[in-house]
Amino acid sequence: MNAAVACIRLTKRLPSGPEMLTILDSVDVEIAHGESVAILGPSGSGKSTLLGLMAGLDRPTEGEVWISGRRIDRLSEDELSMLRRQQVGFVFQSFQLLANLTALENVLVPLELTGVRGARDRVRKLLAEVGLEGRAHHYPAQLSGGEQQRVALARAFAPEPAILFADEPTGNLDGATGASILALLANLRARRGTTLILVTHDSEIARAAGRRIHLRSGRVEEVEANA
Amino acid sequence: MRFADGLAFALRETRGSRGRLVFFVASLALGVAAITGVSALVGSIEDGIRDRSRELLGADVSVQSRRAIPDELDALVAGIEGARRTDVLDLSTMARSSASGRSRLVEFAGVGAHYPFYGQVVLDPPGTLDDLADDQVAVAPEVLSELRVAIGDRIGIGEAEFVVAATVLDEPGKLGAAFQVGPRVFATRAGLERTGLLGFGSRVRYRALVQMPATTRASTVDAWAASLTNTLPGAVYLRVETASESQPTIRRSLERVERYLALAALLSLILGGVGVAQIVRAWVASRTQAVAVLRAIGFRPREVLVLFGAHVALLAFAASLVGSIAGSLLPFALPLVALDLLPTDFALSWEPLSIVRGTLLGVAIALAFAVPPLTAVWRVSPARVLRSDAEPLPPPRAVTIASFAFIALGVLGSAWAQSRSLSLALYFTGGVAVAGALLTVGARALTAIAARTPRERLSAWFVHGISALARPGAGTRGAVVALGLAVLSVTMLALVQSRLVERLRSDLPSDAPSVFLLDVQPDQWDGVSALLAQHHAINVRAVPVVTARLASIDGADVSDLATKTSGDELDRPRWVLTREQRITWGELSPDNRIVAGALWSDPDHAEVSLEEGFARDLGAHVGSVLRFDVQGVPIELRVTSIRSVQWESFSINFFLVAEPGALDDAPHALLGAARIEAGEEQAFQDELAQQFGNVTPIRVRSILEKVLDVLQKLSFGVQVLGAFTVAVGLAILAGVAATAAVNRSREVALLKALGVHRATIAGLFATEFGLLGAVSGFVGGTAATVLAWQFLGRVTDLGGAFVWWAPIAAAVGTGVLAAACGLLASARALAARPIETLRG
Repeated sequence: MNAAVACIRLTKRLPSGPEMLTILDSVDVEIAHGESVAILGPSGSGKSTLLGLMAGLDRPTEGEVWISGRRIDRLSEDELSMLRRQQVGFVFQSFQLLANLTALENVLVPLELTGVRGARDRVRKLLAEVGLEGRAHHYPAQLSGGEQQRVALARAFAPEPAILFADEPTGNLDGATGASILALLANLRARRGTTLILVTHDSEIARAAGRRIHLRSGRVEEVEANA
Repeated sequence: MRFADGLAFALRETRGSRGRLVFFVASLALGVAAITGVSALVGSIEDGIRDRSRELLGADVSVQSRRAIPDELDALVAGIEGARRTDVLDLSTMARSSASGRSRLVEFAGVGAHYPFYGQVVLDPPGTLDDLADDQVAVAPEVLSELRVAIGDRIGIGEAEFVVAATVLDEPGKLGAAFQVGPRVFATRAGLERTGLLGFGSRVRYRALVQMPATTRASTVDAWAASLTNTLPGAVYLRVETASESQPTIRRSLERVERYLALAALLSLILGGVGVAQIVRAWVASRTQAVAVLRAIGFRPREVLVLFGAHVALLAFAASLVGSIAGSLLPFALPLVALDLLPTDFALSWEPLSIVRGTLLGVAIALAFAVPPLTAVWRVSPARVLRSDAEPLPPPRAVTIASFAFIALGVLGSAWAQSRSLSLALYFTGGVAVAGALLTVGARALTAIAARTPRERLSAWFVHGISALARPGAGTRGAVVALGLAVLSVTMLALVQSRLVERLRSDLPSDAPSVFLLDVQPDQWDGVSALLAQHHAINVRAVPVVTARLASIDGADVSDLATKTSGDELDRPRWVLTREQRITWGELSPDNRIVAGALWSDPDHAEVSLEEGFARDLGAHVGSVLRFDVQGVPIELRVTSIRSVQWESFSINFFLVAEPGALDDAPHALLGAARIEAGEEQAFQDELAQQFGNVTPIRVRSILEKVLDVLQKLSFGVQVLGAFTVAVGLAILAGVAATAAVNRSREVALLKALGVHRATIAGLFATEFGLLGAVSGFVGGTAATVLAWQFLGRVTDLGGAFVWWAPIAAAVGTGVLAAACGLLASARALAARPIETLRG
């Protein structure tokens, strides 16, 4: 299994009162290294759930998840943490910055975790790359939504992950700001050759991806690729 | 992650909400202040009691013997830097006045320099015994009146003549009328030697008094004193006493109070720990999303635990420092709040080392109690970054077990440090574990009952309150355990304190005899009692006394028993065997309680009843046969009962009480006792000397007042400590109740959007918090009542009724407190506007 990410008959059920609700139903997906894929679908179609399972944030009820040739759905919590630390980056709709840390410190956290030397210099360069060199010592509450998402992008790319998962990265931003964030994301990814898996309900945004997987009611409805 | 990065992260966690941080530190500091404050109060009270107790002995340690004190004691005292020794030689002898032609049996003492080390010998005219020349004496007022001499006159003792230089108004000493033969005369050591009474055959009592350095702890003094019996040659002939042992009248009260203090110190750990645990629990709950983010970007749960634990440790250090400084200074604030209660010379001490100890103990307890709530990070799913309702992960069993082991070790270690007794710490830790388990069962039962209670006929308030307790993730179990443990601690302390103070007050011998009358001949008693009546004496009593020497125990000659060396089977103190024994007979006073055998139960033998400690010293038991030599006549008495004696009563009590009739024919005198008002004492004494010259009055008012003072201070100390611990406990309880009321603003906004009034929502919340508090109070109060009952009955000998209403009072009190504090803590949430339901 040489794909960056592969899912085989991936199923997720959650309890809903006395019954079990099927969120994902036997989904098969394979994403190659360096590929850019958008997962589309209406609200409740299972997009974010699929992203969480592929990233090792959550565990499937049935099926398999593979990352870079390693099956991850049976790994322990610690092993999953190490996998995310070494291979995976995230960008979230609600930014998920740590409110008590400055922009610089937020980006620094994953590098401190791995004990990277020269981390501060690398972070400053990244902040400059996302256009926030003058805002490094500001707290999230002192930044606009767009600026917060730029910090989140810098944090996601700081440890140079092989795969980046983005969950509605422009969902909380206005159109122009969202477009600039997407452009920045595309630029950062292209320079590093990072595999991108992006969840969105916006087909315009999805069009920028090399391939689009349409979900409906927990099943893959359609897969379309750019010509 | 490198240490520096981890430390930086922990420091960064202290940013953000300053209000939360202040609340967190303040709550932690309150918990630590409870621990260190109680510890400091315990130390101050112990020091105060020790100061007063050693004024009764005049020293820290007294070594007595009928033989010369071994020279080796000098080296042992010299081995302690700052310790010093003085010696007192006592003997009973006749003092005479050639001018009046009268003579009197007196207790003659030759004292060394600096006697006494504590308290003082009050002389008139003022001065000290060190001022006496070798041909001068200071005498008790009784000597002046009985010998009809005045200051400046000469009296003869042995071969020497002395000038009476002063009267002795007060001296350190203890109540021992049964062993005292006459009023006191003080001379210098060289003066005593001038009398020629130290020769062969004299009945001198040698006393070496040792003063330890001021900083020496009572436990160190006791340990050193105990070691003397192993290190000094001929130790079996020595009677070693420390200040705390010297007064049988207060010893039992001291022991009870010491046990109470140990209990308070240990329970303060629980109060502090519970406060810390609940604050950490609330803080971790507020950081759940941050934990999810850290988990998502690759932090392992144990790394998050270490980061958050380091943060807690930093705050705990700051809070512990503040709390321990505040706690250690707390005794000094007492006069501000309890001026009318505080005795004017109540001793207070401040030890800087207690701050270091308090800080370390505070950090240890904070971390021990913080770990279980911190392990909640294992339950935070990283998927929360995508869905806020992501189901929590099951915590690994090993983590759960390790967290309980950690808290158990933390409690054990802290209890050990606080009580300095491993066995007590083990019992305490076990007790806390059992109480925690009971409370967990209670919480589960509450949740189950709440889930199954039919709600159709209940009012809306109760429906909401019960539903809230049963809802998943409500934290009912944690809140009940924390509240219950706090209630347990406060209630148990209050119950034990109340019983102890009641007993200490009843022990105050407000009508105890103030004068004992020695050597009253039976035919003089009517006259003596008439004289007492003239001087308005109350509680007049007289008992017959026969003086005798113990000849054998169960056929073994006491001279053989007394020459056995230590390590022998019985290892008796020799002085018990060889001294002159005083035996009374007749009915027992209510101070006596038979603990073995039966009183006057053997129709075939003359019987004797022994005091339990004395029986232990003799190695005698029920069935033993004691042979006495009563002025040349052998008398055999069989031990048929063993008694405990309540010495606190100050009444006349004896180690040896013979069966009525057994000693009727023996020559005997009467020992009288009465209480006379202070203003009448001197006049009574003067008239007694004129009418009954052979009768010796021993005035014990000053000693009695000192003992009363110690008992009053014990009572005061217990009340202050109890009030402080209960007050801090209630504050912590309020804090715990407040943290149980987590931020409910979204719920309030929703209820308001549905048209529910703010007052109604407050009522719903009050019902919920009140129910939670009532159940915690009832379970904790019940456990406290049972434990207090057991503690009073088994650990102290106080006993006491089972306070059946305490659990109900605890349930009602905690319910009201929880409702009030919960509403206060929810004030901001209750102000939430309905529009907030539309926000994310």
